[in-house]
Amino acid sequence: MAGPDGFHAPPAAVSHRRMGLQPFETVVAAHHGEIYRYLVRVTSRSGDADDLSQETFLRAYRAWDGLDGSANVRAWLFAIATNLARNYFRSESRRRRAYAGVSDVRGDVDMTSPEEEQRFQETRALVERVVDGLPLKQRLAFVLRKLHDLEYDAIGQSLACSPESARAHVFQALKKIRIGLNGHALPTMETVR
Amino acid sequence: MTSKHTSCRAIELDLVATATGDAEARSAERVHRHLDTCASCRDEFGRYRAVDSVARGIRTEPSADALAKSRAGLESRLADLRQRRVAYRIFPSPLGHILVGRSEHGIAVVEYLHGDSSLSASRLARVEGVEAVPGGPELERLQRDLLDYIEGRRRGLDWALDWRLARSDFERAVLEATAAIPYGAVASYAGVARRIGKPSAVRAVAQALRWNPLPIVVPCHRVIGTSGRLTGYAGDKLTLKQRLLGVEGVKLRPAQRDFSVAREAMYALGEGSTEYCLPTCGDILTRSLSIVTLFASRADAEARGLTPCSDCRPDLHPLTAA
Repeated sequence: MAGPDGFHAPPAAVSHRRMGLQPFETVVAAHHGEIYRYLVRVTSRSGDADDLSQETFLRAYRAWDGLDGSANVRAWLFAIATNLARNYFRSESRRRRAYAGVSDVRGDVDMTSPEEEQRFQETRALVERVVDGLPLKQRLAFVLRKLHDLEYDAIGQSLACSPESARAHVFQALKKIRIGLNGHALPTMETVR
Repeated sequence: MTSKHTSCRAIELDLVATATGDAEARSAERVHRHLDTCASCRDEFGRYRAVDSVARGIRTEPSADALAKSRAGLESRLADLRQRRVAYRIFPSPLGHILVGRSEHGIAVVEYLHGDSSLSASRLARVEGVEAVPGGPELERLQRDLLDYIEGRRRGLDWALDWRLARSDFERAVLEATAAIPYGAVASYAGVARRIGKPSAVRAVAQALRWNPLPIVVPCHRVIGTSGRLTGYAGDKLTLKQRLLGVEGVKLRPAQRDFSVAREAMYALGEGSTEYCLPTCGDILTRSLSIVTLFASRADAEARGLTPCSDCRPDLHPLTAA
């Protein structure tokens, strides 16, 4: 039996749930933080991320009993969140607001000198602008891959495309960031973790 | 950029993947071989590595407050949803398709579905405030128990019940009084009305049982008319009532488009007594069913702690099975 999003982990995945080890509370405890962070990142507005992350888990809860015991729960949650984010952006006015809002959250950066800190912040702001201006699928694919380390299979499921297309979206995103940073002094590899 | 060498362009995707830690070993090897001979791609490779690092650096860390607030909001919405949630399962049975639903408090609904076997055909789908969701394998046990019961392999359903779908205190009282009628026994609507202290509310009792949210589990099939006729069941499902009573050993005979309980073939218990009698004991056969409960077998009566009547001695002269 497939989950509501047709989600399956590779067959080797162990079903913790079927073994009675994972009530829904533990799913919330384990994943609410990262789903919230993901949605803050892609909506650029913590208020909307609040709503969307809650809605993600309410939907997941409704579907929880019907979910295949072998499903990859984390990837499944990201897929639900991604669907909600895409619906959210279908409203064009919201999209414009998101552009304007860029980022109201602060990164956790540990820099050694004030100059490096400033340079990093500038570069970071530039990257954020480029990322926020990416076409939605590229942006979602990029964030899922680079900030949340999801596998391309899972990203493809989230975006209703093949893993190859997901890979291509990330490639396009990286190219645009690379071009966006043209002429901008990049920090040397040693200063950035 | 425009005059990029063909071999450089061909390897671009792999180069980006390799620089950003996304390439498979074989393409990474190919990229590194190319980098050994191509200075501009080496430069490009370095930039992509830096891009990847910066890009990963835009990971956001919302304030602990915002996160905690969102989590608290979620917990409260989940708690509300959990309260209203009924996980259901629909399965075929000898009595037609049956839906069984469980909330976190217990079994909340058992429903005979008309023809269609989908949720949309059910009353559950239309109960306000209920969040009906398809249940998982944990509801299989309920299905098994219920089928065992219907087919006579099981005499009771020891399920925790959620009474919240009872629509009033009166209805709840009727359901609880009905739930107390033992296996293999029948009582009358008037008898149930007496038991809840409302002897004149016979029609209201019948109406409440017509909307019994837990048929079979709350055995409204054991409630009949004072005439001994089955009278009605779940709207128009009289044959189901006949069948359920038959499984429990209750003797029935046809009576004008209905069935009647064969009182002369059943043990009887008078109101207020703890001794069960043969139907031939005194005037018990002619006493109103509003004050008499009938039992299909001695075992059913004795399972309830009743003792044989010391006058008619049903223990010495048991009824012979027809």
